[in-house]
Amino acid sequence: MKQPGSAVIGLEIHVQLATASKLFCACSTDYIGAVPNTNVCPVCLGQPGSLPVINARVVEYAVRTALALGARVGHFTRFHRKNYFYPDLPKAYQISQYDLPLAEGGSLPIGEGKERRAIPITRLHLEEDAGKLVHSAADGRLGHSEYSLVDYNRGGVPLMEIVSEPEIATPAEAREYVARLRQLVRYLGVSDGDMEKGSLRVDANVSLRREDGSLGTKVEVKNMNSLRALERALEYEIGRQAEVIATGEQVRQETRHWDDGNGVTCGMRGKEEAHDYRYFPDPDLPPLILPSGFVEEQLRLMPEMPWVLKERFCTDWGLSLEDASVLTEWPGLARYMEGCVRCGANPLRAANWIRTETLRVLNERKIPIEKFPVSPEDFTALLAKVEKGDLSTTLAKKVFDLMVSEGMPLPAAIGRLGANSGKLEGPALIAIIERIMERETGTIEEIRSGKDPKGKKRGFLCGQVMREARGQADPGEVAKMIGEILDNQ
Amino acid sequence: MNSLGLSATDLATAVKNREVTAAETVAVSIGRIAELEGKVHALLTPLYDRALARASEIDRKIGKGEDAGPLAGVPVVVKDNLCMKGIRTTCGSRILENWHPPYDATVIRLLEEAGAVIIGKANMDEFAMGSSTENSAFFPTNNPWDLERVPGGSSGGSAAAVACGYAPLALGSDTGGFIRQPAAFCGVYGLKPTYGLVSRYGLVAFASSLDQVGPFARSVDDLALALDVLSTPDPADATSSRRCRPGYRACLGREDLKGLRVGVVKEFEAYPVQTEIREALGRVEGILRGAGAEFLPVSLPTTIEAGLPCYYILAPAEASSNLARYDGVRWGLSVEAEHLVDLYMKTRGEGFGAEVKRRILTGTYVLSSGYYDAYYLVAQKARTQISREFTEAFRNVDLLLMPTTPTLPFRQGENSEDPIQMYLSDVFTLPVNLASLPALSLNAGKSPGGLPVGVQFVGPRWGEETLLGAAEAVERVLGKPAAAFGGEWV
Repeated sequence: MKQPGSAVIGLEIHVQLATASKLFCACSTDYIGAVPNTNVCPVCLGQPGSLPVINARVVEYAVRTALALGARVGHFTRFHRKNYFYPDLPKAYQISQYDLPLAEGGSLPIGEGKERRAIPITRLHLEEDAGKLVHSAADGRLGHSEYSLVDYNRGGVPLMEIVSEPEIATPAEAREYVARLRQLVRYLGVSDGDMEKGSLRVDANVSLRREDGSLGTKVEVKNMNSLRALERALEYEIGRQAEVIATGEQVRQETRHWDDGNGVTCGMRGKEEAHDYRYFPDPDLPPLILPSGFVEEQLRLMPEMPWVLKERFCTDWGLSLEDASVLTEWPGLARYMEGCVRCGANPLRAANWIRTETLRVLNERKIPIEKFPVSPEDFTALLAKVEKGDLSTTLAKKVFDLMVSEGMPLPAAIGRLGANSGKLEGPALIAIIERIMERETGTIEEIRSGKDPKGKKRGFLCGQVMREARGQADPGEVAKMIGEILDNQ
Repeated sequence: MNSLGLSATDLATAVKNREVTAAETVAVSIGRIAELEGKVHALLTPLYDRALARASEIDRKIGKGEDAGPLAGVPVVVKDNLCMKGIRTTCGSRILENWHPPYDATVIRLLEEAGAVIIGKANMDEFAMGSSTENSAFFPTNNPWDLERVPGGSSGGSAAAVACGYAPLALGSDTGGFIRQPAAFCGVYGLKPTYGLVSRYGLVAFASSLDQVGPFARSVDDLALALDVLSTPDPADATSSRRCRPGYRACLGREDLKGLRVGVVKEFEAYPVQTEIREALGRVEGILRGAGAEFLPVSLPTTIEAGLPCYYILAPAEASSNLARYDGVRWGLSVEAEHLVDLYMKTRGEGFGAEVKRRILTGTYVLSSGYYDAYYLVAQKARTQISREFTEAFRNVDLLLMPTTPTLPFRQGENSEDPIQMYLSDVFTLPVNLASLPALSLNAGKSPGGLPVGVQFVGPRWGEETLLGAAEAVERVLGKPAAAFGGEWV
């Protein structure tokens, strides 16, 4: 781990909290698609004389996240002003937390089995988001723009910044860490964790260890809008730094921008600005003192953690780690899976069907599981028909597709496909039974010599016939006919 | 009847009893302003039309038999750092010369809900930075008792307006004495409430941890009435206290001050204070003793030594951050520029006056990395120590009697070239803000030259009742302060 040249990565993640209103005012946080500068008020525009008042729900969400990470929640914390001029920052300071963050310590588990380890967390704090600049230049950057526009709808939206210790060793680990954190905030219901929409933003600090094992110069990498971009950016940056060191040069301390199109990180042109943010406690906000029972109440509201759920899926139902991982990625998906099992579904079959069929539909239609039209009850009933041999797998998938596309309940879908059980009968069914009997002479021999006390082998024959009949025969009729043939001989 | 000369309390009663209409009251007020404004220059923006319309509304309400509120038809002047929706609010600065806030300050709403009629916005030192109203970007205000002299500041326009009888009540804001010092200079009452008693929502910030809105009046009764209206807890201001307020006016009318313990600060005795002010202190002491109060010495060593430097670190520090938003991007002055940084530099360079720039620079300096610990942090510690000293003192006494200012109103231009001398004039007032305490400046007579002489009472936190009670005892003996230019005040 501490070998010279090995990478040391620390991540700073900004999570936009999914509260209805902003951090310090009652304006809506729903800025995506909103007409610019409509979700604003004197407070989030920083109009002279306006004052911030903390949104209690934001504190609840952040405390819940801190508890999930096993962090120490500070019962006495406060807000500072981070002063700098920029047009997207209406007060020319950002209200943030500095010396007393809402929570410190804790960790996030990543990896599986023997690989599993906990990435320690440094701190979790609250701050307000800035507005959004739109530059007129073709490249969308300030440099060559004739003019720039600013939209303050996002200004004041609550952000939770989670800073990890620099204990992430590889780009893959970094990706895993972010994926786990994203999963966690979704489970907690505190954020949608969408990286592309910017509700989860990752900044990475990357350095390579020196010969003596000490940390090298730290470079901050920004603008990674997906897990894949994060992994690629880190791989590129580690390679770049290794090359710089190999040529005997110094890595420059700077902030670099990930250019996803060209697959490179770019330094800022010109000289880095030395920022002096002149932090000081915001006199408009008294210290945040959590009332007694507040943390306990949040603890009570905590859902089962995804990693606990995953383990339970493996041990209780015998799912593979991979199945369990996929099914617990989204809280809604895990709830769906649990719903199916509660309705009596065979966990392995349900897992298999959800992974192949349900996820396919969700991906194709780009909908969340919450909008999936087939209820766990109908889904389970469908699986039961397959299991019993009432429907062949192929036919069941057609029924499933109909249920999805038409939003039909199970019986209606089966009816539409003409797949009602018992449809196949008479000579056609007799022909199938005869074919099976000819093939399974060994089994028939065993049954006749009394080696089937529990009727399992008879059941097997029935199953074979049903399968051949693609589930379209009446299982009772099939059993009766097979019984007659066996007994008549 | 002639409403000129009535207190706010009597005026509201007369309006409610239909002895006079709100419209007549406002007209009288406007007449008074027209008569004197050419000499005094107390107002930046008169609001005659709006005031007359509001007055008719109140008269209609009363006509219909509805309750028009405790300040029904009472004209009020407000300092120009209080936001009024759609009304120009300049803070005495070029940078906000044409700014029209999109919302009302909480105190404005409270006043109007109580039936008050705001007749004008008062001149002030730019962003409340100054002690003479000479730092107004527009024009200086003159002391109504001697037009060559300053009315004090930064709420000089509000104090002068009440002294002239434009209105029986005015609002100011007090960050380091900016209500009390002009009240003393103009010969009226001025009350700086306990930090957190009155909402700051809509008060354009100078130093957020020190700013507090308060009333000017010409009678203790009016001061108490105004406080009753203003001191409503405000959920829009996180520093507004939710504690229950007594009815301040209901608390008045005590027969005597038996059992009241008044402290005199030993360290202030040695401080150079003009003779007339010393004599006034003696006069007030005599009255209080006569009413049954006893006097005790108290000691505030850190306060006298560290108060001034502590204030002149913390207030500019907060101001440097509060005033950073005037960048030419959203509202207020915006000077055409090629680049973003140019826009900032030109807008702020042209928009701010010298004193404001001085404080922004000082504040930026003391918060800078490398200096924060030596200045800001040390000043915070001193502030805590000053608070402790006052708390300690108030274990033994119920209020303190102190000078409001070391001098009588000075001449225009006398101190404006020497910022330090100007800062020193706040030596008795600003420790009160540092300790978040309430204080009341009252008129204790005139100098032989005809200038008002003020002294102040300082109370423990939430001790407004005690201050008003003691002021009332003095008023019984000395009478209500007279208005300038021969107003026929009761």
